[in-house]
Amino acid sequence: MTGSVFVQSIGFGLVTASILALASVGFTLQFGVSNILNLAYGDVMTACAFAGYAVNQVGGSIAESLAAGAGFGAVASVLLNRLVYRPFVRHGTKLFGMVVVSLAVGIIIQNIVLAAYGATFFSYSFPPGRQVHILGMIFDTFQLMIIGLAVAAMALVQLLLTRTRLGKAMRATAANPSLARASGVSTERIVDLAWLISGALCGLAGVVLVLNTSAFQSATGSGFLVVIVAAAVLGGVGQPAGAMLASLVLGVITEVAAGFISPSFKEVIAFGVLVVVLLFRPAGLFGQGSTVREVAA
Amino acid sequence: MSSATSYYASTLLVYLGVDIMACWSLNLQYGVAGIYNFAWVIFQAAGAYTAGVLTLGPASGNGGFQQYILGLRLPYPLPVLAAGVVAGVLALLVGLVTLRRLRTDYQAMVMLVISVIAVLVVENVIRLFNGPAGLSLIPQPLGSLPLTTLGYQWFYVVLTAATCTVIYVFVHRVTSSPLGRALRATRDNEDAAAALGKDVVRLRLFIFVFGGVIAGISGAVLVQFIGAWSPGSWAYVETLVVLTAIIVGGTGNNAGVMFGALLVPVAFNEATRFIPQFGRPGLVDALQWIIIGLLALIFLWFWPQGIIAERRRRFPERPRVVRSGEGT
Amino acid sequence: MSAEGLRREFGGVWAVTDATFTLRRGMITSLIGPNGAGKSTVVGIIGGAITPSAGRVICDGTDITRMPPHQRARIGLVRTYQLSSEFGKLTVLENLLVAAPGQRGEQIRTLIYGKRCWRRQEEGLLDRARFLLDRFAMSHQENEYAGNLSGGQKRLLEIMRALMCRPKLLLLDEPMAGVNPTLAQTIEGYLADLGREGLTMLLVEHELGLVERLSESVIVMAQGKVIATGSMPELRAHPEVLHAYLAG
Repeated sequence: MTGSVFVQSIGFGLVTASILALASVGFTLQFGVSNILNLAYGDVMTACAFAGYAVNQVGGSIAESLAAGAGFGAVASVLLNRLVYRPFVRHGTKLFGMVVVSLAVGIIIQNIVLAAYGATFFSYSFPPGRQVHILGMIFDTFQLMIIGLAVAAMALVQLLLTRTRLGKAMRATAANPSLARASGVSTERIVDLAWLISGALCGLAGVVLVLNTSAFQSATGSGFLVVIVAAAVLGGVGQPAGAMLASLVLGVITEVAAGFISPSFKEVIAFGVLVVVLLFRPAGLFGQGSTVREVAA
Repeated sequence: MSSATSYYASTLLVYLGVDIMACWSLNLQYGVAGIYNFAWVIFQAAGAYTAGVLTLGPASGNGGFQQYILGLRLPYPLPVLAAGVVAGVLALLVGLVTLRRLRTDYQAMVMLVISVIAVLVVENVIRLFNGPAGLSLIPQPLGSLPLTTLGYQWFYVVLTAATCTVIYVFVHRVTSSPLGRALRATRDNEDAAAALGKDVVRLRLFIFVFGGVIAGISGAVLVQFIGAWSPGSWAYVETLVVLTAIIVGGTGNNAGVMFGALLVPVAFNEATRFIPQFGRPGLVDALQWIIIGLLALIFLWFWPQGIIAERRRRFPERPRVVRSGEGT
Repeated sequence: MSAEGLRREFGGVWAVTDATFTLRRGMITSLIGPNGAGKSTVVGIIGGAITPSAGRVICDGTDITRMPPHQRARIGLVRTYQLSSEFGKLTVLENLLVAAPGQRGEQIRTLIYGKRCWRRQEEGLLDRARFLLDRFAMSHQENEYAGNLSGGQKRLLEIMRALMCRPKLLLLDEPMAGVNPTLAQTIEGYLADLGREGLTMLLVEHELGLVERLSESVIVMAQGKVIATGSMPELRAHPEVLHAYLAG
């Protein structure tokens, strides 16, 4: 395998890492703040991708599709938490019962999309981009845009969490909901906002994912879910910075492995990496092994 | 009854038996021991594949259109027993990786990931189990008996029932013993159980392997009936169907779980069979899954304990003997 | 049992700087002191949940400093906890049964041999559990889910569970915390009975009246050290003790 193929793999890896970063940071935010493992995440991504598609079909541009996806994701996620997850938690469903709830919701969403659009493959129709050469890697403009979007989003999220009051409130709620509540943080509102933001990330990730693949259908998102979970777990659940790093690691390793070994094994290798890392660092790269079991929905 | 109905009924009964074993297996792991085994279906698949490649003849025969390992043409019941062993070993490996060091919520996620890895590996390493196309033309056990097709169906029902009964003896032994009690304690309060000296990891590993063995056997019984098995049969959502069945029927409870097996996989799947296909192809299937999902949600809401809740264990009266100094 | 020179720090803060004392067999000893004196840490060290930074714990001549909690339970050193730790979905009786250590029925061989290998032992445990329930007047709750009990009843369950282990030394960490006065009196009565029957106990308590009624010997801790031991009347006149309570 030649050096140029290797370098090109890294390029692909960066794109994959970008998509993964958008998705996994959203996912890990939801888990961090609400302690809910939202297995419907991938399916919400798919729904957002279709929202973007609908906009595209009536002539929308990329920016409009992205906005549609992000908006749909934000609204859908907040509604999901308010109408389904929060009531179940209030009702007394324990932590892991919620996992089954989210799995069920995911299946429902996926099949609603299937019922609405059918089982065929779809793709966006945007005017094709140009090719750009950077550092020996060839990208098309869409991919560069994805990377740029991811970097911008990640920077914003980090700023939000570390510099703003909202961010601090979110981290407090994630660490200890009752303490946060007692300190005057309106946890309900914070949680809503967290789902709003992570939902927007989810939507962006969904549109961007299908932009990068040639065709998509109702199961595309849930297929990607496992990689998202892997990145979130690898980074330490609830740690957005960890998820970002993990996405980079997994994205690049996946594509390099695909170049070196075989494309069909790339996911196996990524997951293998996950399992091995967890054996040595059970809480993930940035994880803290917290014992907070409350759900702050 | 007409022979068509008889055929249908016997098929249903075999599926019921398989699903009952499946439910007992996941119930031991989830309902009794509290392990979120999202990778459950890979153990059933391991059993099915094992039984398949042990029952089939060598791959080069039959025109060689399938690739797979082994092919030993072993007689019944060896493939079934081997299926249990292989699934058990797989469960041991998975358990050693996931159950020992990870936090419980991580375990669930890692199991999910492992489930997907398994499908990917099997699909891509074609010479293992013939990849995405899967195994087919698996001969039925004891097929040389002089029975009509219908007769064989009912014979297989008896075979399945016998397997279920044997499995049940062992399942009951565990759930009704102090071992079962220690596991339930671990489920309720892991730290307190550990403080009392219960070896939580060892107990969980045991039940994980035991559940895996049963899952493998259920796979073997199923595959020898259907004669074919491919990755489509064991996507990770299949675990959800079994999980729904247990939740609906009543977790932690053998009888409830049987009821769940009847209600969800069997009754539900079969009920939708009679709905005529309408709209787009695949529309009815999609709706079916939507309803399964809604069912799960409804049951989790109204009956979090299941329809037949875990029964209180009462202990028999013993002759009262007055002892002094006892208890200190 | 004796504790020698126990020290423990948490993240730079010394919770216990020097704890040395002896518990005599068959006596009820209380450990008192103002908040932050390090009592819970000492109990944690003796119970085995916390390892000391320095010092030893000797029980019946054996150094058990490094022994894990469940092994200590097996040699007879049992502790109760402040927070409820019952098994909610098991019945009261089952909670007691599961507490007994060394059950044959919990071994994997149950799978192969079935009821035969554990029936005998189970019957013995049933008798013991029922005896305890009777004694603590909770027989009618035998089949109630432990999660449904009131706070005070859970506290009694906790004590009964400890007793199922046939302890030689019982560590009680604030057994009356959050319990209503009537039930507290009942529990006090039970503890007194157990003491009379010869069970060695170490009691961490705040309520000094209770301490005086129950215990023969009292250990006072303040700011991480044992500052005095003796009987209550002796301690009442002890200047350091008075200072600790007034100042702390």
